[in-house]
Amino acid sequence: MTATLERFRCMACGHEYQEVVEEGEDKERTCPKCRSNSIRKLKKATEPAE
Amino acid sequence: MGNFTVTIRKKARYVDPGLCNVCGECAKVCPVVTPDEYQMGLSSRRAIYIPFPQAVPSSYVLDMEHCLGNNPVACGKCAEVCEKKAISFDDRDQIITREVGTVVVAIGAEVYDPTEMDDYGYTRFENVITSMEFERLICAGGPTEGHFVRPSDQQRPKRIGFVQCVGSRNPRMGRPWCSNICCMNTVKDTLLLADHYPDTRSVVFYQDIRAFGKSFEDMYQRSKEAGVRYVRGLPGEIHEDPRTRHLVVTVENTTSGKLERHELDMVVLSVGLQPPADLRKISSLLTLSKTSDGFFMEAHPKLRPVDAPTRGVYFAGTCESPKDIKDSVCQAGAASSRAGALLNAGKVTIEAITSRIDAVACTSCGVCVRVCPFGAIQWTKGTPAVVVEAMCAGCGSCAAQCKPGAITMRHFTDQQILAQTRAVLAERPEEKVFVFACNWCSYAGADMAGISRMQYPASNRVVRTMCSARVSEEMVLEAFRCGAPVVLVSGCHYADCHYINANRQTVKRVQSLWAKLEKAGVRPERLQLEWVSAAEGQKFAKVMRQLDELRRTVTPEEIEHARKAFKPKVRRAAAEAAAAAADPGTAT
Repeated sequence: MTATLERFRCMACGHEYQEVVEEGEDKERTCPKCRSNSIRKLKKATEPAE
Repeated sequence: MGNFTVTIRKKARYVDPGLCNVCGECAKVCPVVTPDEYQMGLSSRRAIYIPFPQAVPSSYVLDMEHCLGNNPVACGKCAEVCEKKAISFDDRDQIITREVGTVVVAIGAEVYDPTEMDDYGYTRFENVITSMEFERLICAGGPTEGHFVRPSDQQRPKRIGFVQCVGSRNPRMGRPWCSNICCMNTVKDTLLLADHYPDTRSVVFYQDIRAFGKSFEDMYQRSKEAGVRYVRGLPGEIHEDPRTRHLVVTVENTTSGKLERHELDMVVLSVGLQPPADLRKISSLLTLSKTSDGFFMEAHPKLRPVDAPTRGVYFAGTCESPKDIKDSVCQAGAASSRAGALLNAGKVTIEAITSRIDAVACTSCGVCVRVCPFGAIQWTKGTPAVVVEAMCAGCGSCAAQCKPGAITMRHFTDQQILAQTRAVLAERPEEKVFVFACNWCSYAGADMAGISRMQYPASNRVVRTMCSARVSEEMVLEAFRCGAPVVLVSGCHYADCHYINANRQTVKRVQSLWAKLEKAGVRPERLQLEWVSAAEGQKFAKVMRQLDELRRTVTPEEIEHARKAFKPKVRRAAAEAAAAAADPGTAT
């Protein structure tokens, strides 16, 4: 099973973070800072991490 | 519902159970010796054998993978000595087809293989065994006939350590679940040892002892009274003295805070349970969903604990979650009762909330088929899709995804939901937080907040849908068109989705909407997504407070910009008007 490092942004608090995502994984995403579920997956090339 | 066509492969036995009288002459002459799987490889068997003593039918079976006498017959000694002529090398697998009304899935679980956890030396030290191997060694029907000996020297061990949670409750290994049975299995094993060999000294290394069942606490206390020592802490590593083959276990006792060193004759790894390897195949055959642990997910943890989300399918045993014999038997009884009730019903009443496809409007794209979690839509390329209404559970993800608008979700039509949206936002929309809430969890969570008298701003307006997956892009955009400053889409948590995994479609749709909002120059933060369960009234109230704060930051210019940015497409607006004119009763 392959895993990639993905970037996410919380649409509630704006916190950006990276997480290892395994291929085909089915996981509920929660912001590690504010616990919101409004987690947007960011595109790798267009939106660099802070 | 039900009406499954099941194709079964009945494997060839090569021994006729009707003729075999279990005399055992065949096994005596069989020259093949291979490890006995039932005895965990601790003893051997022949190629012709009885799988285990209580096997039904009580008859020999030929393991053709190891037999020398297949095609062309090279050995055939078993057939020569069989007086009953019960052995036939020409036997072949049979394919049987059956029509059944219900299916009970009871495929069980697998035991964790600790070879990957090399810290405990399972592959390096002979005297480190698993709890399953322990079971065979102490069993009267086992390879040593119940004489408990250690593998390295066949001597009786007098100091035995049990290591708990091997392959369980370990998030670092991706195995965070509790296997449920291991604690009491170890307590039972220590009592067996104390009973058979009173001079044995047992030590159990544990994180927590979970003795929650009937009489379990009593059993745990009896084990302690029998002299078994329970050390709270798991060993980091196990070493072997190469001379004596004794095992040295170093562990931090988290109760005393001291480092302890234990020299033991044998270590038993209390291995956990894991989903079976073929679970994925069964899952796709019966359109079942899995929990994050990989076990099957029930339709509802409290109200339908033995039902699968697919109607007519039930669960029994450890394939649903790790459980002991008593719980497995209870669940099996419940599953058979549920199956019997459905079979005897004769006539089945289903909810009227199902989807319907307009064959003329359908473009045969097949998108609805892909998003239906229940496999309730039949479609072949080039022909309009058809909903099997007995299978449709009414989540509405197909209707939300249908671009040409060919799918009508009864009682939750596009027109009804859009009309509610417009009505809610008709006056002073800038003062409102617009919420789409799923029927089962989020709407109930809002209720919970209300009946618990939780305080939160009164600015929210909730529109109920059966599932968050029913909320189409168009519905969210319509809310923005009507001047909503903030829109929330809320549904069940992943593990609680009442429509198998329909809320994953919600996530995809919201991700796509965020991109659309951003492209249109609208702050994507104005659309939020939250999972709120029926018990999370507090979370609902908290989210409402946060969204009200967010609402206050949205300027009238921003609202106006969104109104203009998402002008309805002319064709869709015309279709909607035509639909409303044709069936005015659907618009509320």
